[in-house]
Amino acid sequence: MFGEEEIVKSHKPRAATIGNIIVIVFAVILARLWFLQIYKGKMYLDYSLRNRLRKEIILAPRGMIFSRNNVMLVDNIPRFDAALTPQYVVDKLATIKKLSKILSMDEDSIKKILAKNSNLPKYKSIVIKKNISHREVAIIETESNEIPGVSVETFISREYRDKDVGAHLLGYISEISQAQLPKLQKRDKLNYKLGDFIGQFGLEEELDLTLRGEDGNEFVEVDALGRKKRHIGDESLYHGVENVPSIPGKNLRLTIDNDLQISAYAALEGKVGAAVMVDVNTGEVLAMVSRPAFDPSMFSKGLSADYWGSLVNDENNPLRDRNIQEHYSPGSTFKMIIAIAALEEGLIDENTDMSCEGTLALGRKVYNCWRKEGHGRVTVVRALRESCNIFFQKIAKRLDIDVLAKYARLFGLGSRTGIALPREVSGLIPDKEWKKKKIGIEWQLGETLSCVIGQSYVLASPLQLVMAYSVIANGGKLYRPHVVKEIFTNSGQIISQSTPEIMSEIKISPKTLKIVRQGLTEVVNHPAGTAYFRRGKGINMAGKTGTSQVIRMSQEKLFSNCESFEYKYRNHGIFVSYAPSFDPKAAVAVIVEHGCHGNTSAEPVAAAVMQTYMKKYWPDLHKKILDEEKGPVKTKTVANTTASPNDGSSKESE
Amino acid sequence: MTTTDMGKTLRKYDMSFFMTAGALFLIGILNLYSATHADSGEPIFKYQILKFIFALCIGIPLSFIHPKTIFRYSYVIYGINILLLVLVLLIGKYALGAQRWLGIGPIRFQPSEMMKISLVLALARWFTKTNVDRELNLLDLFIPALITLVPVILIVIQPDLGTGLILLAIFSISSFYRRLSVRSIVILAVLGVVSSTAMYRFGLKEYQRNRIRTFINPQVDAKGSGYNAIQSQIAIGSGQLFGKGFKKSSQASLNYLPENHTDFVFSVFNEEHGFIGSFVLITLFGVLIFRFLQLATSVNKFYESMLSVGLMSILFTHTAVNMAMVTGLLPIVGIPLPMMSYGGSSLFTFIICCGMATSISNSRNIF
Repeated sequence: MFGEEEIVKSHKPRAATIGNIIVIVFAVILARLWFLQIYKGKMYLDYSLRNRLRKEIILAPRGMIFSRNNVMLVDNIPRFDAALTPQYVVDKLATIKKLSKILSMDEDSIKKILAKNSNLPKYKSIVIKKNISHREVAIIETESNEIPGVSVETFISREYRDKDVGAHLLGYISEISQAQLPKLQKRDKLNYKLGDFIGQFGLEEELDLTLRGEDGNEFVEVDALGRKKRHIGDESLYHGVENVPSIPGKNLRLTIDNDLQISAYAALEGKVGAAVMVDVNTGEVLAMVSRPAFDPSMFSKGLSADYWGSLVNDENNPLRDRNIQEHYSPGSTFKMIIAIAALEEGLIDENTDMSCEGTLALGRKVYNCWRKEGHGRVTVVRALRESCNIFFQKIAKRLDIDVLAKYARLFGLGSRTGIALPREVSGLIPDKEWKKKKIGIEWQLGETLSCVIGQSYVLASPLQLVMAYSVIANGGKLYRPHVVKEIFTNSGQIISQSTPEIMSEIKISPKTLKIVRQGLTEVVNHPAGTAYFRRGKGINMAGKTGTSQVIRMSQEKLFSNCESFEYKYRNHGIFVSYAPSFDPKAAVAVIVEHGCHGNTSAEPVAAAVMQTYMKKYWPDLHKKILDEEKGPVKTKTVANTTASPNDGSSKESE
Repeated sequence: MTTTDMGKTLRKYDMSFFMTAGALFLIGILNLYSATHADSGEPIFKYQILKFIFALCIGIPLSFIHPKTIFRYSYVIYGINILLLVLVLLIGKYALGAQRWLGIGPIRFQPSEMMKISLVLALARWFTKTNVDRELNLLDLFIPALITLVPVILIVIQPDLGTGLILLAIFSISSFYRRLSVRSIVILAVLGVVSSTAMYRFGLKEYQRNRIRTFINPQVDAKGSGYNAIQSQIAIGSGQLFGKGFKKSSQASLNYLPENHTDFVFSVFNEEHGFIGSFVLITLFGVLIFRFLQLATSVNKFYESMLSVGLMSILFTHTAVNMAMVTGLLPIVGIPLPMMSYGGSSLFTFIICCGMATSISNSRNIF
């Protein structure tokens, strides 16, 4: 372009004006800074050092948890901590001395705590003792003038009304750890800080965002010693500052019945195991307990190292919910699935009988029935009733493992039930592809023979088993188990309500269903059934016993008394049932680790919970069953006592 | 290119822009570290350094692109940016509230941030085309006003009032430099007062109106936005002449100052380094801004001159508005301090400004 240099030149005056404007603007800003920092600097310094407007966080109360019958299970109670803010301390040694007296701690441990936190800014308070008594609170409050810098901080801690009952289900809250912080901040998009409490287990963890409210804040003016001042000094400096109230968390109403919880927990007293009960027509979990447990209140009160150590070092692992976080060989309880597969696939019918001589040879391997002399000729109903291994293993020779796996998976085994609780295990239903991929070897027929009696690779959690038996009880519906009935606010407004969720509907022919139900009913109610002797009164259960083998046993040990083994080598006892057998309402699964037999260890627990349930929810039905049991059944008592306490554990040996 | 050529190029390469900006960034990163060292979680100053390096990876190559090329693509860049703004609004409709971000793979950026540069490019090109030898009257401003108002409207409805106002400031400074007649300036000033009154009445969202009300009369503040302003002034004032010293800011580390790492970095700096510190800092900003202005008067292509002034206006308005709002001279509008506030998008913009200015400066010596 022609004469561009001239054009640029002609704009120079404007550039100069812009330059002047820039200088003026910066001069104004500098003048303002001079006003703030030099002219008013002392005043502002005073405000920043002495008369502080402090923004205090008001913790939002966490949501409460209620049982299905509105019994409060989890509540909030205030907890007091003694804290020290180094900035306000006048005489450090004297303060430590006084504190050690008030809190009955030795001076060295206070010094240690202070040294540990010495890298914190001086204005941050350091907690010296957590969960102090009301007396200690009172002393600190009255002597606050003599011990500047010492204060009482209030927290809200969780109280679990029934202590360790249902601890795994309810879970606990505890302080966020350094390692969790970045992960959780990203996951929840919330600005968590160290020292914040969050749900770390069970429902507290799963529904943390529902239960936690929103913290508010409050502006208070504090003086040079950190004491709150009643009157705000220079009004003109602080106008327009408003407090934000906290929003309480939302409350939960569970499907859990507290009486059933207590009954199940009491029945498991002195045992290592778990029990879970569901409503077969909705999938609502009515009871769910695991032993040994822990006291969840301890976690929010400030967990002592001793208590934590005792939990972590306990070889029975109290921090594990055995209902969903552990899977076991289902043992003979798995035979129900085999019976259905065989009937539906047309391999057998109700009249097919096979002979059981006590052993079955496959190649060089010999499989044993739990009854050494054998059962003679057995049909499917009798095989279930007396838990005959050989009957099912003979079927296994003709039943492809993939077909078997298909049926097991229809009943929800081998995958998570989808209950809204953290860290559920999926169990395992093996098939050919799985083995090839996992172990690299082709499937062996012998393994099918072990699988059909619930051993080998087959694994299931108690919750999976109770859901599978519920399918038989309700005629084909696999529900998603759930524990939360309602979420509601403090003002009673219901935010969400759960409805039964059918995961899949299984088409079992009515004939098959009838045969299997007959078998399961006879297990408990036929004098030759494996679960006859401890069947309980007025409940009329149908179910199946099982033994989960802990170690592979030698031929000689096979038939010796389980109770004579060292504790850790004893088998686990399992019992899964529903009741009443003719009109099923609820199902229950019980595992007792190292309980030897399902009928001696697990069945009494199931019977106890079921009795509590029937008495409370179906009193008329319960009475009717009781009356019937008194009547014609009398003549049937103890006709055949050949049923031994053993209930069909896998007896295999080379 | 032989080694001697390379050496010659490097000797002639104008480092003043990157060096000054780099010095500001260094001060900024120390300040960020100080402002956030008491926070838990990831140290954000590390991210900021990464973002700076990434921005340089674009900014330095840009300085080797001839201004002619930039001239040629001015409208294309502007057009694409407008499309991106529309896209943000369309996608934003499916999300909640204000939607300013656009994501391409792992990279997220704000088209409204890039728009500042695109607008400078488009205005510089337009102003170079028409009657460069005489003063402009109102009619001449019709097209440039259109070029400005389209993105302003798109950005204000996001809603991002602050950036919209920055674009208007860029337009004003560019038009002023391009010899807008005094008569037109007076008419526009009157029009501006009238329309901003109308805008306040009808065009603003409630929270935006609140900020202005708080500024004029803090007593009426309802949501506590007066709190930020007060705490910022306490922080600045308490720094006095020499400041409290590095990492000694109590206001910032006590979280009295919200967003102490973004919009309020200047307050933290003032609290820790006092009046003397901020005098040095403002001088450094002044050096950088005047370097742009000086470049505008020393080039011999008018497009390059217009471009330099435009880039300068981005830098200057951000610096002045941010400093004015944290010292209580202007309402809090959320404008970052160049090179010092945490955030990748704005850092990116200022590095690109420096890259383009370097390219203009180099075009006389290297190309």
